Formats: sequence, C-alpha cells, structure tokens
Amino acid sequence: MIETSPKNSGPTPATQPRAPQSVIRASILAIACWVLSTPLTTVAGSAAAFSGCLLACLWLDRLGAQARLLRLRSPLIVLSVVIVFALGAAVADWFTGTPLIARTVGAMVSYQLGQILFWLLLAGAIGLTLRLLARRHSWGSIPELLFVASAFVITLAAHQRGMIDRPYFIGDFALIRGIDPSSILMAIGVMAVLALAVLLMMENNHKRLPYHFSVLAVLCFSLLAYVQFFGMPTPSLTDDLGLTGQAAAGGGSQSDNPFRDGENDASDREAPVAIVLFRDDYEPDSGAYYFRESAYSQFNGTLLWTAEDDSLDQDLVSEFPSTPIEVTDQIPAQDKRRSVTTTIGLLTPHRSPFGLDAPIRFERAPNPNSLRFRQTYTVESLVPEFDFSDLIGRQAGSPDWTVAQWTEYLEMPDDPRYGEFGRELIANLRPEFADDPYAKALAVKDWLDTNGIYSLANEHAYATDPAASFLFGDMTGYCIHFAYAATYLYRSLGLPARVGVGYSVPSANRAGGSALLIQAVHGHAWPEIYLEGLGWVIVDPTPSQTLVDMSTDPQDSLQQMLADMLRDDAAFEAFLQDQGGDSRWSLENIARTLMFMVIALLLAAYIIRAYRAQVPAWASTQQQYRLHYRAALDALASFGIVRRHGESREAFARRSMTTLPAFSRLTEQHLQAAPDYGLAPAGVWQAGGSPDAADRQAWQQLRRQLQHELVMSQPRWRRVVAMVHPAPWLASR
Amino acid sequence: MHVMEAEATTTPALTEASNVLHRLAGAVKAQVIGRDDVIDLTVIALMADGHVLLEDFPGSGKTTLAKALGEAIVDDQSQTASDHAVPIAAFRRIQFTPDLLPSDVTGSPVFDTNSNNFHFRHGPIFAHVVLADEINRTSPKVQSAMLEAMGEKQVTVDNITYALDPLFFVIATQNPLDLVGTYPLPTPQLDRFLFKITMSHIDRDAELAVLNTWQQRRNPGAERTRVGRNEIIQARRSIDQHVYIADAIKATLVDISRALRADERVLQGNSTRSLVLILPALQVLAALRGRNYVNADDLDMLLPHVLAHRVELAPGVADFSRVLRDCMREPLEQLARGTLKANHPSDS
Repeated sequence: MIETSPKNSGPTPATQPRAPQSVIRASILAIACWVLSTPLTTVAGSAAAFSGCLLACLWLDRLGAQARLLRLRSPLIVLSVVIVFALGAAVADWFTGTPLIARTVGAMVSYQLGQILFWLLLAGAIGLTLRLLARRHSWGSIPELLFVASAFVITLAAHQRGMIDRPYFIGDFALIRGIDPSSILMAIGVMAVLALAVLLMMENNHKRLPYHFSVLAVLCFSLLAYVQFFGMPTPSLTDDLGLTGQAAAGGGSQSDNPFRDGENDASDREAPVAIVLFRDDYEPDSGAYYFRESAYSQFNGTLLWTAEDDSLDQDLVSEFPSTPIEVTDQIPAQDKRRSVTTTIGLLTPHRSPFGLDAPIRFERAPNPNSLRFRQTYTVESLVPEFDFSDLIGRQAGSPDWTVAQWTEYLEMPDDPRYGEFGRELIANLRPEFADDPYAKALAVKDWLDTNGIYSLANEHAYATDPAASFLFGDMTGYCIHFAYAATYLYRSLGLPARVGVGYSVPSANRAGGSALLIQAVHGHAWPEIYLEGLGWVIVDPTPSQTLVDMSTDPQDSLQQMLADMLRDDAAFEAFLQDQGGDSRWSLENIARTLMFMVIALLLAAYIIRAYRAQVPAWASTQQQYRLHYRAALDALASFGIVRRHGESREAFARRSMTTLPAFSRLTEQHLQAAPDYGLAPAGVWQAGGSPDAADRQAWQQLRRQLQHELVMSQPRWRRVVAMVHPAPWLASR
Repeated sequence: MHVMEAEATTTPALTEASNVLHRLAGAVKAQVIGRDDVIDLTVIALMADGHVLLEDFPGSGKTTLAKALGEAIVDDQSQTASDHAVPIAAFRRIQFTPDLLPSDVTGSPVFDTNSNNFHFRHGPIFAHVVLADEINRTSPKVQSAMLEAMGEKQVTVDNITYALDPLFFVIATQNPLDLVGTYPLPTPQLDRFLFKITMSHIDRDAELAVLNTWQQRRNPGAERTRVGRNEIIQARRSIDQHVYIADAIKATLVDISRALRADERVLQGNSTRSLVLILPALQVLAALRGRNYVNADDLDMLLPHVLAHRVELAPGVADFSRVLRDCMREPLEQLARGTLKANHPSDS
C-alpha cells in the first residue's frame, strides 16, 4: 500500500520535505490531534493540542538533514514521548495543585493553563515522533496514517448502532442549525478519506495525484449511491439480551430456548429499536408502557412457548398489516379502557407487529423514510385504566372459554414445588382476599419483588426447567426468569396466566412529548393473568435488588429526531428549512444534480458524436476532405485506435495499414487535399492536379469501406464498446 | 477519377523526373545488393545537388556503389558543352593519404614545351561522381581544397578558376573505428555534406546474394540501364518546380531545429544552411515516392541523416536519434493537427 519514497529509502536522515507538502501534512496531523483531544479537554486545551502538533511537525520538517535530533535512536524517541507525557501531566497537576498560582490568577485560569501546557507538550511530542519516524523509516508513514485514521474512527464510533444523533457535538451543532447530521458525518468521512489520501500520496509520484483523487471520488460517490439504493446499514435486532425471544427475523425456531446464559452483552443496549408516536395522550398508572409483541402461553412439555392452538391468544396478531387487521378477540371492559392510537416505526426487523396493551386494530402507515424505517404501522389500543377496586374481587379466566382453553392456560411443569410454594406465599393473605385471584397474584409478585435478584449473569438455561432452577435456586435472573417463575406460580394457584413478550418503556422516557423511543434495553417479558370482565392484566414483578445497571440516559434528541422523521419526512425537511438550514445542499440533492449532470453530459457527448459523423453529408465540397477524415478518426477512436502524441498522420495510417487499408487511403486523400500541406495554392504554384480528387461519393465509399474493415478486424466486445462509446471525439486527433 | 491513384495529381514533367530517379536508383541497385536505403539516399543527394559522407568499414561496397552510380550516368552533353575541351569522366576515385597534395586532387598547371605555355592538367575531381575514399586520412589543406570544390563547384589553381560540372557529386567515406593517424573533419566542414550515412552490415540473405551474383555483375558486356546527364539536370529542375513544400512543413523544420538548439542535451544546434539544403532533398524524396508534395514522412526519413553530423551533443549524450525524436514530437504534432483545422487562409 505504501511505497517507499526516495527520501525514506535509507536509515540515515534524508532530505528535507518540501514546504507546501510539509504544511499540508502538519495540518492533517494537527487536526487529528485536535479531534482526539476534544472530548478530553477544554477548548483551550484542544487548541493547544492542535498548535503543538502543527509547530512540532513544521519545526521538524525545517530541520536540515544533519540535525542532531534526526540521529537519535528510534526507541529513544518513543521513550521521550512517554517522558513528555509524564512531564506534561506533572506540570498540569502542579499548575492546578499549587495554591499560589490558583490564588494569583484564579482557579479557572490555572486549570486552563495546566491543560494548555499538557496538551501542547503531548501533541508536540506525538507530532515530532510521527514525523521523525516517517523521515527515517520507510514504514514511518504507517503510524502517521493510523493516527489520523484512528482519530476519525474514534470520533465517529459513537454514531454506530443507529445512534444517529451522535456524536453529540456534531449532532447538536447540526440540529440547532437545521442540518441533517448525516450530511455532516458523510462530509467528515469523505474529508477523512481525502486527508488520508493526501498523506499517502505525499509519499508518491505527484503526477498521479489527479488520477488517485478521481479514483477516490468515484469510491466516495459509489458509497453514496450504495446508501441511496440500499439504505444505511441499520442495526439488526439485538436479541442478545434474550428479552424478546422470537423477534429476530428467522432467528427463532420453535425449539429455541428463550433463556440465555452469559451471552447477555449489554454493550449495545442503547441501540434504538423502534419509535412510537402517540396520537392520544396517555400516561400509564404502572409507570411503564407495555408493548406486547407475542406471548408464551402453551406448555410444550418442557416450557411455555408460542401457542400453536388457534383458539389461544386470539388477541395477538402475528402478521404485519397490509390491509387493516382487526383483533378477533373481543376486548372486555371497554368502559374501563380508553382508545389510544399510536404510530410505530420499526428501525430493526421484527417478526410481528406490537402495540400498547391491548391492541385492537393494526393498519399500515405510509413509510416516510424507507431507508430508516423497516415497517411503519398504526395501532389502535384500548389501554386499561383499572382501579384497584376494578381488579379486586374478580373471577379468574373467562366463562366463554372451553375446557381445552382452560387446560392450556393452566398447564405447567409437573413439579409439585410450584404448588407448595405458591400456597405458602398466599398463606398469609387476609381471609377476605384469600380466594381473590388478583390478591393471590399480587402476593406472588410482592414476594418476587422482595427476594428476586436481577442479574444478567446466571446459569439456568440448561436446566430441565430453567424457571425452577431460578426460583428454587439462587433467585438471580432477568425478566424472562421472573416472568416464567411468576407464570408457573400463578398457574399453580389456578390463575390462567401467560408470559407476555415485547417492550416495556418507563413512562418518564416520553418526557412529556408525543414520541417514545424504544431501545434494545427495553426488551422485556412479563407475566399476565386473565381476569373475568377485564381481560389480560399484567402483574409484573420488579425485583428491588439488581446486580446490573440497566438504566440508560434518556435519548431526547434522538427520540425527537426519529419522531420527526416518522411523522413525515417532508415535514422534517420543512422543519429543517424553517430552522434556516439550506437543505438544497442535502446529499440527495447533490447526488441528483450530479446524476443529471452526468446524463446531460452523456447526451451532449452522443449528440456531438452523431453530429461529427453526419456533418460531412451537408458540408461544402471544400470541407469534405476535413470533415470526412475527422469522422473516420472518430470511428477509429471509438475502437480505441488513436494517433499517439507526436506521431505523424502518415505513420498513424501505416500502423493500422494491414487491417485498415481504407484508412491509409483516407489519410493520403485527406493530406493531399489539405491546404498548407499537400494542396499547393492555385496560381502561385505550378503543380497542377485537381485539388479535390475525391468527390463526395468517393469519400463516402471510403468511409463505408473503413467501417467494414473495422467490423471485420475488431473483436465483438470492442464493437459493442465502440457502439456505446459516448465521446470518441475526445480522443480523436 | 479514382481516389487511389496518387499519380493522378502529379504532372507529366514530375512523372518524367520520378522516372529518371527510379531508373538511376535501379541501375545502381542492380550492381549493389542489400543497400537499397543507402542507394536511395545517395540518389536523393545527387538530385538535390548535395554530397554524401559514408561511414563504413572497408569492403562494404562503397566503391562499387560510387562506381555504379558514375557508370549509370551517360555524358550526353557533347552538343551543348563546347568550352570544355576535356571530357568529364563519369567516375573518379581519389584515395586520400597523409602525403596527398591539393594539386593531386584539383590538377595542376603543367609546362608544355611545345607551346611554351602552362597548360592546366585536370585533376581527378573533374568527374560526375567522385569517390573521396577515407577523406579523414589526408591533411587539412587537401580536405579544404576538396571541400571548396564541393561547396563552390569550382577549383582555383594559380588564381585561375575552373568550373566543375553542374552534376559534380562527391561520395566521401571514412572509417568510423580506425582513427589512428587521421585528421577528423571538423563540424563546419561536415556541414558541407548533405547526408552522413552510417552503414551497417547487410543482412544474411543480401550477403549471400552478393556472393552468388558477383560474377555476372562483373561482366562488362552486360546491358545496363543508363541515365543521361541532361535528363538528370532536367529532372532536378522539374522536381524543384513541381513538388510543393507547404509553409507548414517549413515551419515544422524550423521548429524542430529550434527545439534542438534549445535542448539541453545539445551543445550546438544545426545551421540554417542545413535547413536550406534539406529542402531540395525533401522534394526529391517526395518525387521518388510519387508524390507532388512533401509530407511528414519525408521529414521523418531525411532529418536524421541531415542533422546527425551537424549537431554537437553534450558530453555524455550518445544517442542523437533519441534527442531528435524528442525534439520532433511537438512540431510534428502541430503539423498533424494543422491539417484538420478549418477556415484555412487558402481555403477560399
């Protein structure tokens, strides 16, 4: 990749780099320093980093080949960076730590001074080392490149996994001014590529610079086209947490185990999964929005799984709506529920649509940005607004259920411990509630709340019954363990129960707005029981002891941005324009303009080609020699046969004499008729002869013959290329 | 009228001249085998009123060439030339040695006891074709006498000037390797030769043909093609009149020599005289190739032979052909582009 340049050819300190090169290289390295230092220090500190690196690079490049510094051993140089780092840290510490300085100039100034000194020294040392290595060794430019590349990569790393408003300093900057941050990030990416390219090519032959740049531009442009046609790479659904079980596309077959051990990686838990727009105001009493995607309700011999029996779980919808889908199940207690409509945009693939508990109607919504959203749909839900008095005193199950349904909703592992333990838990209930289903459920939930320990690191998955392993074992697990254990306990107490799967988002995340961002961390499973006249009621244990921090920062800006996109892309654009941003320079517009320009250029090229081929037919007799010959040259050029620079026409004709004799005759004819070449001016010169021996027909015949010879002598692919070649006239001379 | 016939545009006079050229070249080619390019150049030089310097090894056919050329020319001037009592020989050869004197070349006055008068005895230089063998072996004074004769077409002995024949043509030779005891010709003197032709060994087939045919070629009785002296003079005139040299060609010539002079690999460029000398040669070559105008091909062919001995290269630069090719590239490009340009002044 990196060619050894002459100046790096020997181990001895070689010649000085030239001035403009040196400045460009120094600036690139300094910018990288600045980018790297921005999140770590104050503005003054990063400015110091920039100037320190710049000055160091420039100074080193100005050093003569005999400078003593250049003769230092490489390990010594690396060691000196470490020393400078330690020294700088000490000085910065001394500045902030010395009371005298702090008292004389103020705490803030002393801190700033310390930062400036530290970063100046550090960046200077880094710049010096990088340049010194590059001057001494042929591999020396690789650390330079890596340094610059890592600066950009580290900066932009925060942007991955769908956090499209990050890094904040770019996202905020752009959003305040009404610019789509992705354009800025794209621009930064392109800049990074160009900067790296400049660094690379400084080691190289300068005459190839334009060529290299054009290749790079094509690469960047094709990246753009890729995004245009295939969309941004969106994060795949984070199934790692095992919370949503079956959601990953094609991932979950029936035999999949919803329990996971040790695979739970919380690193990308913040990845956005979906955005929900509220058409109606709704704040749940439970403190969390529950979005049910699926449920595990049928016991398959080892554990609960998605019901295969159609009569079960009729409130669930498994297909995304192409036409409006009404939930077949009649939701009871409509007087105690309220209709809430939400629009949901899925950012990652899902198997089934989900909605707020309890959805009654799914309808497809227009997708305003198919690059961003996988699916968009509108859900009408009848959200429960039950009082405690509504819940208490109900009967479990539905009187409409068949015996088979009852059996399915009560089936559970053949483990007597559940029953015993369940009865133990409700033993302390007050007598008036002893037979109340909701009270029983609450008792179980309360016990789990108090005694369960939330943890992602646990080992239950490979037990015969993971829920039993959890419940009668160490009591550490995450939502799926709690949900299964609770469901089994409910069922053992005679309550029809199931495990609901989907997302649970704290209601505070909505932050008063109309949009709610669902992130991977919100994937959840919960137990729910069926109460007569109310339907499925979520009784979700929330353990008070937790070993992992599952809290995340609210993503307000991302939430708002995605919501704006989902509401209407046009509205988003309008919003951007309202903000004073100039969206004419959006990537899409630039790409479109470029495409139009390319098409227009192609069209113009074809028109010129056709004109030059046909114009001899209309031209005057005096112009025949010139125009016909030019047309013949164009024809040859379309086959890639062109005269070399400095080659005479005669030599060119001779070169293709064997395959194209007609062209030799055309050349001869042309030159003979060319004034100031073969054609003597009449009167002055005595050489007689007719000036244009070839009349129109002869010219045309010669050209037809040339075309024939071309077709005969050239391979088929060349003929095809020649036919579609837009601008052979650029090459014909 | 068909496009393919190049002769269609040439005049009868030019056709006749071209005919003479081909006959002359053919007569020599019948005697000298495997040297067609050298023969063509020699004939061109003869027609263009120049002289050639051959650089070659001994025994490579220089004398045969010169002799064949001289013998191919018949002296048919008997009816015109009356002032010359002495008949001009077709061919003379002078072997240049260090002790040669100028009078050995030019001739000297001899006292005639019968008439009590000095009487000029013509030297070997009074011939149509003179072979000056190993010209670099003789002293500079002989060389300069020879060169004066070549330049002025006259010899001056004892303040009396004797004119040489208008056809007077010198083929000088020098051995490129054996330089001990020689007086190398300085560049200004080399300037008097139109071409310096460096010959290489002929190829295998030609050499074999030489061995196979040497007997029949030596047969003096054989019928040979001959060209009259007046025919040659006439052909010279018609070529000069009928072969067109476009301004663009002349501009290209000037541009090339300017580029040569400007090139840092060249110590001293070619003279303006060389450009003047090359014009008739270009015309002859065009006529030889059956054209009535000079084209880029002609330049390409003649320039190396005309310029090689006139340009002094910087120390360390050996390959003149490469220098010349570099210097020719841009002017030739301009020349080629010119033919496609519209609205030429001579269009109307």
